[in-house]
Amino acid sequence: MDIFVTGIGAISCIGMNVEEHLSSLVQEKSGIKKGERPFSTRFLVGEIPLTNEAIVAKYNLVADYSRTSLLGCIAASEAFANHKRDKRIRTGLISGTSVGGMDISEVEYKSYLNLGQHNIQKYKAHSSGNSSEEIAAFLGIGDFVNTISTACSSAANAIMMGARMIQQGVLDRVVVGGTDALTEFTISGFRSLMIFDDQWCRPFDETRKGLNLGEGAGYIVLESQASIDKSGAKKLAKLKGWSNASDAYHQTASSPNGYGATLSIQEALKVAKLQPSDIDYINAHGTATPNNDLSESQAIINVFGDQIPAFSSTKAFTGHTLAAAGGIEAVISVLAIQNNTLFANLNHSHVIEETKLQPVVRTTKVDKIRNVLSNSFGFGGNNSTVIFGEV
Amino acid sequence: MKAVIHKIVSINHQDCFGKSNVWENLIPIQAGSAVVAPDYKEYIPAASLRRFSPVLRMSLTAAQSLKTDEAFDSISVGTSLGCLKDTEKFLQTFIQATGDTLSPTAFIQSTHNTIAGAISMALGNHAYNMTHTQNSLSFETALIDGAICLNDGKKNVLVGAADEAIDFLEQLKEEMIQTALPLTSGTTFLVLKPEGEGRKIIDCQIRFSCTDLDSEIAHFLEKNNVDPDQLALVLQSNNLSLTLGKQQINYEQFTGLYYTSSAFALHLANDFQKHSDDFVLIVNNQMNGKLGLTLIG
Repeated sequence: MDIFVTGIGAISCIGMNVEEHLSSLVQEKSGIKKGERPFSTRFLVGEIPLTNEAIVAKYNLVADYSRTSLLGCIAASEAFANHKRDKRIRTGLISGTSVGGMDISEVEYKSYLNLGQHNIQKYKAHSSGNSSEEIAAFLGIGDFVNTISTACSSAANAIMMGARMIQQGVLDRVVVGGTDALTEFTISGFRSLMIFDDQWCRPFDETRKGLNLGEGAGYIVLESQASIDKSGAKKLAKLKGWSNASDAYHQTASSPNGYGATLSIQEALKVAKLQPSDIDYINAHGTATPNNDLSESQAIINVFGDQIPAFSSTKAFTGHTLAAAGGIEAVISVLAIQNNTLFANLNHSHVIEETKLQPVVRTTKVDKIRNVLSNSFGFGGNNSTVIFGEV
Repeated sequence: MKAVIHKIVSINHQDCFGKSNVWENLIPIQAGSAVVAPDYKEYIPAASLRRFSPVLRMSLTAAQSLKTDEAFDSISVGTSLGCLKDTEKFLQTFIQATGDTLSPTAFIQSTHNTIAGAISMALGNHAYNMTHTQNSLSFETALIDGAICLNDGKKNVLVGAADEAIDFLEQLKEEMIQTALPLTSGTTFLVLKPEGEGRKIIDCQIRFSCTDLDSEIAHFLEKNNVDPDQLALVLQSNNLSLTLGKQQINYEQFTGLYYTSSAFALHLANDFQKHSDDFVLIVNNQMNGKLGLTLIG
């Protein structure tokens, strides 16, 4: 069964909507800069330059939602706003998040620890499941709601889950993607792992030192043909393949031979019924940590041999948006197909010695992009791949 | 849905791990009760055990106890609040830090998919590995995923759920968590196969903003061609007092409150009149408006 992408929506430090994302990608304009929140000022981060209060006012959202929910509502409604609501179309929302409402609970918990007082009502925002239920309610979706939480591969897994539910006839249409706000919890967490770069991150570069964190949300709408017959939605792309595999190597590090990533890419090609040579662009996970980029390069070599497609990581634009990354990068993958454009791997000057893989360093218009493969890898050795193709 | 429960195990406040039928030693949970913990050392190396939180110990042990020579070809875990103890510990770590270095252990173990990831690592399993979190319907979403895996053609599917209580939650009682039940911890894991001996999961459905419980249940049973009188047992939650079926039991008296306790209700359903194929319905209405219905035959 064909599964179509009929809507896209994104918010991150490079844009409040899809159009702004495309413009930043084409102009090679990164959104990563010195943080402006109390917990982020010491770091280079991809922050969305609006406070929660400003977001609530601008988009007419609910005041006590977590930032994760607010960002999710904005991107998901961009993807789904113009879609016909029809009771005959069974519609779901499957959303990835890793922090949920931690942006609110960490403030209350800090007050509790330091001052012995907190507002218990505030913790209501904490549960990751709540963010998805709030986004679903905002969109008017009630048939099915599901939150996936597999760290940095969450959104890619939400896309995969949605595709399988349509394929098996459980749902006709599903909004899939992910959302994560920047929090002190995650900034401190990645600091404890010592994988931040104090410069701009340099994916797939020999001199890379680590990642820059970001925040945002990205969603796409998936529909079966039967659903489109009723909704009349426009086909933007096809979702052709998906896969998830375990590296089973280490809780946070990827295996040096990229075993789990290799399995994931191979299986996604199989599901898509495509050959490696059918892929015209890889939007890599490419976090710019020494470990990820080497392991992912190895996996790409394992699958594509000496016929490596054009590839880049767009995380030097957005920062690593964790559970949202697979959603934002799904939107970027669809943009690549729609515009026949390869997006730049910013800040790259030296290939990795061991693999010598050369990413695309400038945003480049090409004749045709037929299929785009997008990787997302998470803690727990959780490796996911999705493949988009032209309609 | 064509899923047969091949094996099912639980670790919680009941003395049930490794028992042939969970109904045998079943007692209502009292305040102050604790997890009846098996000897985790039999399943987890001592070095790992020291850094693993209770929820990780319980769930990894439950999952490991189900392993056979045949590798699982998918793993789906549901958890409502995830690894709470490590989450709180890492909050304390960075809030109270004085120097510039932080211990990463609690952060690494705080993500919801720590459980499923640790299982894949302990088993050397490279299969599909998923973590669902949907408040009181987290187990149901993992179960639906497991059933979809079987429909995808997988043959040996691991599904589980786990949640842990931490002391901090007691502070949220009354104002945020309204319950007369003790806050508890529990895990249940099961192996699903497309066919073979065992209880069948006929259907599992979740609903949000459910306002008319009776009609949702009636519709669900009708969809599955089951007459309410054919239900040998209805396992219900949240002080419901449904009258359908031959017998109704509130399963939360045996689990206490954690938000994936419907997984233990499935264990109770599986072991109820074990060798019959009477229908059992689980009505998970733990959080008002969020309804999980699971039919076992």
